[in-house]
This record gives sequence, structure tokens and C-alpha cells, in this order.
Amino acid sequence: MTEKLLNDEVAAQVQEVFQDLKGDVEVLFFGKKTDCQYCDETQKLIEEVTGLSDKLNLGIYDIDDDAELAAQYKVDKAPGLVLTGREGDQSIDYGIRFAGIPSGHEFSSLIHDLILVSGRDSGLSQETRDFLKDLEKPVHLQVFVTPT
Amino acid sequence: MLAHQMAMENPLVEAEMVEATEFPELSQRHNVSGVPQTTINDGAGAVIGAVPEDHLLAEIKRALTNAR
Repeated sequence: MTEKLLNDEVAAQVQEVFQDLKGDVEVLFFGKKTDCQYCDETQKLIEEVTGLSDKLNLGIYDIDDDAELAAQYKVDKAPGLVLTGREGDQSIDYGIRFAGIPSGHEFSSLIHDLILVSGRDSGLSQETRDFLKDLEKPVHLQVFVTPT
Repeated sequence: MLAHQMAMENPLVEAEMVEATEFPELSQRHNVSGVPQTTINDGAGAVIGAVPEDHLLAEIKRALTNAR
């Protein structure tokens, strides 16, 4: 049996935090067969994480084989993660993306984001919500991070 | 992540966490020096460091106003 990426202690902590999950979440993982140093590890990581709760679902895709789906979600980098809310057969795309392996500090960002999507609410101030809701032009935020 | 929270409020907002060492060309294009760095609309605005909500909001407003 291959070793897990998450040790038992971390898995238990995450599983506990996942007690707060409300609505269902679907994660889409996009990998690539060549030229992707962290694809396998990212896939393994997200498999382990989503395995810790019945409310988390995971679809494994390939950026080339599933090019249409990748284009639909505007995924152009692998490994890529898309976090969506799932209500029955409906998918809610909140525009939340990860490019590259979410390790180190970004691992806790991933866990918090899963809970965020599950709660279906941004948690932002009314002023921020009002401004964002009134936007008429697109805003693309790219947050560059490094693994700690 | 704050940017991801903002993405939830409008389909026009998309927020992507990018692991810089895996995507060096993209990082270089955006002159990523300190992390985290939040780039807005491909360079119309940028914020270095982890900043509070109102700071990022102000920078987004500025980036949208400055856009050609």
C-alpha cells in the first residue's frame, strides 16, 4: 500500500474541521500527462482530502483529454483545481481556482476554501459585497505564492 | 483566501492561487518579487503581501479606474 501524503494527525484534524461542512462541494482536478512535476502528488493530495468527508466530491480530468471541460472552467495550467458548490445536479462555479500544488501554507487555504464553498457565503463585509455585486467589468485576481 | 472570497460575490470575478515556482514564466511576467503577490487584471494593479479586505478592494477599484 502506498504511503499517504497526510499523516494520521493532520488527517484527523482536517476531518474534525470538516464537521463544519454544510453544502456539498465538488472539486475538479485537472492534470497533464507530461511536463507536470507535481501533478501526481497534487492528485493524491486532493484524493486524500476529499476522502475525509462525504460532502466532498472529486472529479479527475486531464487538461488535454478533457480540453473542452478545461476551457469551460478556464483552466490552462496543470495541476489545476476548481472548487464548485453542488446542489443536486446543479454546479455552482464561484470562480475559485488553484494552479500548482497547494502545499505548506496553501494547504490550509485549500481547507478553508472548501469550507467556504460549502457554506455558500463569502463572509465579506457588506461594503465589499455591494461593490463586487455592482461590478460590470471582469476582475481577474492571481495570487502568487510559494511553498513554505 | 481573501481573493477566493471575493470571487464568490460575482461571476465576473475569478481568483486563482498560483504556485510561483511551478509557473516561472508567468511569475516573471508579473515581476513577482515578494509573496504573496496579488495581481489584478494581468497587471492593471498589484498588491504585495497579505493585506486586509479594504486594502485589496481599494486596489481593485484603482486598477479598474486606471485600465486603458
